[in-house]
Amino acid sequence: MAKALGRNCKDDIYPMKRRDFLKRIVKSFFFLIGLCFVPVFAYLYPFKIKERPVRFIQILEEDDLPQTGVKRVSFSYEEGQTKINRHLFVVRSDEGLAAFSPVCTHLGCLVSWNRSREEFICPCHGGRYDRHGKVIGGPPPAPLNRLPLDIRDGRVYVGLKV
Amino acid sequence: MSSVFNWIDSRFGIREPHKKFFQRPLPQNMNYSYCLGGIAFTLYLISAATGVLLAVYYVPSVDEAYKSVIRINEEVFLGWLVRSMHKWSANLLVVFIMLHALRVFVNGSYRPPRELNWVAGVFTFVLSMASGFTGYLLPWDQKAYWATVVGTSMAGTIPVAGTVVLYLVRGGPDVDGTTLIRFYSMHILILPLLMAVILWLHFHMVKRQGISGGM
Repeated sequence: MAKALGRNCKDDIYPMKRRDFLKRIVKSFFFLIGLCFVPVFAYLYPFKIKERPVRFIQILEEDDLPQTGVKRVSFSYEEGQTKINRHLFVVRSDEGLAAFSPVCTHLGCLVSWNRSREEFICPCHGGRYDRHGKVIGGPPPAPLNRLPLDIRDGRVYVGLKV
Repeated sequence: MSSVFNWIDSRFGIREPHKKFFQRPLPQNMNYSYCLGGIAFTLYLISAATGVLLAVYYVPSVDEAYKSVIRINEEVFLGWLVRSMHKWSANLLVVFIMLHALRVFVNGSYRPPRELNWVAGVFTFVLSMASGFTGYLLPWDQKAYWATVVGTSMAGTIPVAGTVVLYLVRGGPDVDGTTLIRFYSMHILILPLLMAVILWLHFHMVKRQGISGGM
């Protein structure tokens, strides 16, 4: 059965020279159709990938900054018509004031501050960071993203790429 | 490559029947007018392929439809080409179905046992016209809007059932966002699927009955 299906067309009863030529033409048509996938890829690929500028957003008053330790700060901003709620961690340590994005550098889950263990823990794959954002365990390839802080007129601003 | 195909085909078994089909005897008096149906089918394939590509960027909402069409035309790489190919293959599809029908009519190829295939062919024609009508609304510009207002109003002139049909087609008393989504789902889901099924029936009968010898 398999042998019969796999037989070459030359074994057939028809004279094949012209047919082989036509077959080649048909095959080259299919090749041309296959080539169309190159422009199709270019068509589907995103046509605008622009670097987002850093925008400074007010997150809290200077008086609300933590005296020591880690504070989770919720804030919101407008993007076009929609209001977007986010949060970050503000840390005061012996190295001064720092703001950390809660996005785990492994696969983008949101980490939380574990008060008793004194470390940021990612719930997804067990990534662990210390209070300076440094990786102390688990799969994360890089420290937590440190965001630029700016304090002006008693207000605290944080720089985000939004 | 061919060994992979052999492995698949020894289980799937499509090569032998197709070889039989491709090598079947044909009537002596064939000419290029017998290609019209094949051209129409190729145009259907082109409009299906480009339609899939357009659906990636088109947004079927009152606020976004026109903007997304402009975006396809001006920003997407080769978007203008894909949209033009869709438009022209759709227009030519209707033309070539008509020419194909004319050839079948002139040759008397519609006669028994092929009369059911003529009916299937008429269905593909109706479906392609319906695809054209529903697709015409999708850019949501003035021409599209008023063409659909006028076109759907014709359904309203049917005695007794007119209003019911009109409301069913428009999804309400007016042509609005509801109509747009309705036409969109008809255009990209229902009509192409029906078309594929009917075309399968059409080609199945061509294979079973062979090509008529004409007059």
